[in-house]
Amino acid sequence: MTAEPLPSPQRGEGQGEGRGYLWRMPAGWWTRKRHYFLYVVREFTALPLALWLLWLLVEIKRAGDGPARYSPHGSTAFVVFSVIVLLFALYHSVTFLSLTGVIIRVKLFDRPLPSGLISLAMFVLWAVASVVIGFVLIWFGR
Amino acid sequence: MSTGARQRPALMHLYWWFLFSQGGVIAALLIPVHVLIQGILGPLGVVRVVDRHYDTWVQVLGNPIVKLYLLVLIAVPFFHFAHRLRYLLVDFGMPVARTVPAQAVFYGGAVVVTLLTIWVLLTTAPLSLP
Repeated sequence: MTAEPLPSPQRGEGQGEGRGYLWRMPAGWWTRKRHYFLYVVREFTALPLALWLLWLLVEIKRAGDGPARYSPHGSTAFVVFSVIVLLFALYHSVTFLSLTGVIIRVKLFDRPLPSGLISLAMFVLWAVASVVIGFVLIWFGR
Repeated sequence: MSTGARQRPALMHLYWWFLFSQGGVIAALLIPVHVLIQGILGPLGVVRVVDRHYDTWVQVLGNPIVKLYLLVLIAVPFFHFAHRLRYLLVDFGMPVARTVPAQAVFYGGAVVVTLLTIWVLLTTAPLSLP
C-alpha cells in the first residue's frame, strides 16, 4: 500500500490545485521570521524598480515635447523617491547576484568553478558596468 | 510510477523563467547606477547628467545603440518583475495568481511595456548615427 504524499508548500503544492486537502499559508506568515520578511522585501523590490523605470520612460517621452517644454524632474519628492528606490535596487542587486553562484554552473577543464568565484565575477561585472554607465551619463551631459 | 497522464515539458515555464532570470540580471547590473545618477545626483546638481538638458538628452537618445540599450534596460526587467510579483501574490495566499488569466495580465503587462518602450524610443528622437 502506498500512501498519497502530503502536499508540500515548499514545492508550491497544496494551494488549491487538489480536490482534497487544501493547505493555505497562515495570514501574516511573512512577519513571523526575519528570514521570511527579508524574502518578501526581496520579491517586493520589483514594484519600486518598475515604477522608476516607468518614470525613465516618461523622461524619454518628454524629450519629444521639444526644447521649450522640456524640464527634467528635479523636485525633492522625486529625489526622496529615488533614494528609496536605490535602497531597493541595491538589495535586489546584492541578493540576486549572490544567487548567481548557486544557479550558474560553469565548468573549466572538466571541473566546476566554485560558486563563490562566480558570484565574485558577477559583483565585479556590476562594478565595471556601473562605472562605465556612470561615466557615459556624466560625460555626455557636459 | 505511471500515472497514465502524458508528460509534457513545461516549455512556457522555461520561457518565462529564462526571461525572469535575464531580467533579474539586467536589473541588478544596470538599474542602481541609473537611479543614483539620474534620480539623485543629477537632480541635486552634484554632477551634470545627460538628461538634465534637452540638447544633450535628445542627442544621446538619437543614437541607435542607446535606443537598443534603453529597450533592454527598461523592457527586459519587466518580465522579471511580472514573475516576482505574480508569485508574491501566490505566497500571500492568492492562488488565483497561478491561473492563465493572471499570467496573461502579468506577462501581458510586460509585453505591453516592451511595445510601449519600442514606440517611445522610435518616436521620441530621430535616429542619428554618431
